[in-house]
Amino acid sequence: MIHLDALSVDFDERFQLLDIDWTLRPGEHWLIAGANGSGKSALAAVLAGDGDILSGSIEGVPKRIALVSYERQAELIAAERRKDDADILDVISEGTPVAEIIEDGCQDLNLARSLVDTLGLRPLMSRAFRKLSTGETRKVMLIRALTSRPDLLVLDEPFDGLDHDSLVWLQGHLRTLAETTPMVIVLNRFDECPDFVTHVAYVDDGRLPLCVERADEQAYAELYQLLHLKTSDLEIPAADPAAKLPALDPATPLVQLTGATVRYTDNTVFDGLDWTIEPNQSWQLSGPNGSGKTCLLQLITGDHPQCYVNDINVFGYQRGTGESIWEIKQFIGYVSTALQWEYTVSTSLRNVIISGFHDSIGLYTKSTDTEKAIANEWLALLGMSDRADEPFNRLSFGDQRLVLIARAMVKHPPLLILDEPCLGLDDMNRQLVLALVERICLGSETSVLYVNHREQDRVAGIDNHLTLTGNTPA
Amino acid sequence: MANYFNTLPLRAQLAELGKCRFMHLDEFSDGVEALRGKKMVVIGCGAQGLNQGLNLRDSGLDVSYALRDEAIAQQRQSWKNATENGFTVGTYEELLPTADVVLNLTPDKQHTNVVETIMPMMKHGACLSYSHGFNIVEEGMQIRDDITVIMVAPKCPGSEVRAEYVRGFGVPTLIAVHEDNDPNGEGLALAKAYAVGTGGHKAGVLMSSFIAEVKSDLMGEQTILCGMLQTGSLLCFDKMVDEGTDPSYASKLIQYGWETITEALKYGGVTNMMDRLSNPAKIRAFELSEELKDIMRDLYNKHQDDIMTGAFSSGMMADWADDDAKLLGWRADTAETAFEKTPAGDMEIAEQEYFDNGILMVAMVKAGVELAFETMTAAGIIAESAYYESLHETPLIANTIARKKLYEMNATISDTAEYGCYLYNHACVPLLADFMTGITSDVIGKGLDAADNGVDNARLIEVNEAIRSHPVEAIGSVLRGHMADMKRIV
Repeated sequence: MIHLDALSVDFDERFQLLDIDWTLRPGEHWLIAGANGSGKSALAAVLAGDGDILSGSIEGVPKRIALVSYERQAELIAAERRKDDADILDVISEGTPVAEIIEDGCQDLNLARSLVDTLGLRPLMSRAFRKLSTGETRKVMLIRALTSRPDLLVLDEPFDGLDHDSLVWLQGHLRTLAETTPMVIVLNRFDECPDFVTHVAYVDDGRLPLCVERADEQAYAELYQLLHLKTSDLEIPAADPAAKLPALDPATPLVQLTGATVRYTDNTVFDGLDWTIEPNQSWQLSGPNGSGKTCLLQLITGDHPQCYVNDINVFGYQRGTGESIWEIKQFIGYVSTALQWEYTVSTSLRNVIISGFHDSIGLYTKSTDTEKAIANEWLALLGMSDRADEPFNRLSFGDQRLVLIARAMVKHPPLLILDEPCLGLDDMNRQLVLALVERICLGSETSVLYVNHREQDRVAGIDNHLTLTGNTPA
Repeated sequence: MANYFNTLPLRAQLAELGKCRFMHLDEFSDGVEALRGKKMVVIGCGAQGLNQGLNLRDSGLDVSYALRDEAIAQQRQSWKNATENGFTVGTYEELLPTADVVLNLTPDKQHTNVVETIMPMMKHGACLSYSHGFNIVEEGMQIRDDITVIMVAPKCPGSEVRAEYVRGFGVPTLIAVHEDNDPNGEGLALAKAYAVGTGGHKAGVLMSSFIAEVKSDLMGEQTILCGMLQTGSLLCFDKMVDEGTDPSYASKLIQYGWETITEALKYGGVTNMMDRLSNPAKIRAFELSEELKDIMRDLYNKHQDDIMTGAFSSGMMADWADDDAKLLGWRADTAETAFEKTPAGDMEIAEQEYFDNGILMVAMVKAGVELAFETMTAAGIIAESAYYESLHETPLIANTIARKKLYEMNATISDTAEYGCYLYNHACVPLLADFMTGITSDVIGKGLDAADNGVDNARLIEVNEAIRSHPVEAIGSVLRGHMADMKRIV
């Protein structure tokens, strides 16, 4: 039995869990639910020994605990990136191969082998871990946890970022594992709650006001309701009248790819793809992990080096004819998990939003009063006015995402690219994001390119669909 | 070939050494125009070559890569790097005759060979760019009269050059024009456009000379940047073990300690680093550093003298001719040291503990930075150059030790820097032997006895004044101010 008694825990002085009373008995499986920034991940991490105990006690925690979370994933990626930064002059670091990452701490090599095959990672074993896509990275983290033979398995958003097949498989595997291993799962999507979960802990503002038994239908329904609460009127702040973008020819497509191909020496991501995005046309792009969704987007944004060997016309520029990347980026707003990981510059929320006017990560020019005023309007919309001067890197994962969406939209770009914008968000904020995206689709001149692989996250106003099938196993 | 610096009269030597000026952003208003439509061909597809090329292309410039026939035929890593990134790749014969600008981004050691090979293929009036002036200044390479010779040297690893550009910023960059090879007077315009193409103008550009770059770069890397950190690591580790400190703790304190304490230099120079210590510890560190400076001053002067006369480079080139026999032997010796062979423990060391228990390391950094700066400026190198090649780069090098100790540092710095680092270490370890016998665990390993934190007021004021009034602090605050103005991450 694990018992938390009046426990208060500090996380680097940026977040505190307060006065938590919680008992986990043998045979129970818990779901932790709550809004973005409420402390769900913190509560899960406490079980794995994270944070500094201020007062109270925690007892009965088993010795071997496996934790899968975005924070752990980000730490591992950051550690790999630091290795890369180590070169001072002229050495290209390849980074640690996936196989080595998986073997580290593995207690069951046979299981690891079969998981690698089941999740389709076999062709990637010798690739550098940091070169994996978001979904592939997640799978590696799951394999590490599942093969460590834990006494307690703590999973923070295990289903996010997985393609459909992997998700179904994981749900099945967890159901079997639940017979022998107690689990604590953090989920933003209440509707994905596995059926073996017996209890729900509802976290709010660093406290644990409610523990609900799954069998208590009434209480369960109320909790669902609570999490679905929506904010009222949304008003999208206007663009900066002083910063006019060059006019685009309304008869010219925003994006035209002809026979687009991305190929590495060891594999072809896609081949011969034609795609045209007309002005005021919105698109949804989907496909399994590794099918090249992000690659395709990067051809458009100019972040993929092979954009120079493809026939690409964006915003009237034929790529590779002497245009600069900043001439392209001025027309695009962009949000992705990778951008969030890149956004490690220490700066305030307001400055992160203002940086959207300049397409930069971090702010390197003096901002105008108008820019500040517009950023403040966005913060009000997000309910973060009182946090404008807080450092961005101290926000919760979900709050960071909301701020980055505001950053992408702040200049009202002709094309807004949202690469899995709901990844890592809770129900309430997911609703908020989707409502915001709908409003943008219906009520502004911006074309939205929305990427996801979840059927239920369809957005009204997006009526064009492109699906990538992928040449590599998903 | 004769040492180019030694062929100049003293007047010209001093004038060249004195060149280093922080350029203003409005001097770059022409952007990349001077290079637009010109064909830029990169030689060398390592981290600098690849990442600079990516930036230049993203700035709208025409970039391709010339590789040796065998690198293409065998599809070596350099070929893969260039090809997977969608660049045109060709042989020297295919690309160089039509190139307007050739970017030589190969290691120093290959320069003579590479430049002698490519020069006959380059078209009349083309431009040859270096990122380090050793070949011109020390080896005296003569470039054809019609060719413009410039230098553009981003002061960061290749991966950072790219990462900062993608963020919409850049890294501090040094540019120079070789006055003997500027037939059309277009060298400066080309160098500026190149700096804009890599994003360097946003982070600050220093206008220097080939000579100032070489003489200050060599001095910095041999002494404070690599040599002092190597000597300090070996001496501090052995002392701690002698004094009964757990070797795995000692190993960790040093491996991560240099990075932690020099991080403080980035924000506020030596003053800020010293301010991280308690008052009694600061006074101890100050006194130790004064003692160290007295002992090591002659050694720093000798390094600077050997660099100025060319004795250093001729010695090293003799080793090149001997298949790096000395360098490789010294590298192997370093791998066998006790510090190198003792893995860091897994105990927690808090950030402040690195300062509190590493008072001697702080004193060594202070002594090394100040001595290197003093020696360089006394030799005629302008304060701006001396600052960048001492204080500014120390945290970058310390970072490599945190990764994988001295092995990582020596593997990733240039062979030129590594050779000089060992020379310094061999002289400095015996030089500090007597000094080290007087050292106890209170200044390295355990920290001062915290019973009383009091100090004499007058003495503290005196020490603070001495730290703050050192000339490296004056130029440092000006240059960090420029950088902050440009960066303004509010």
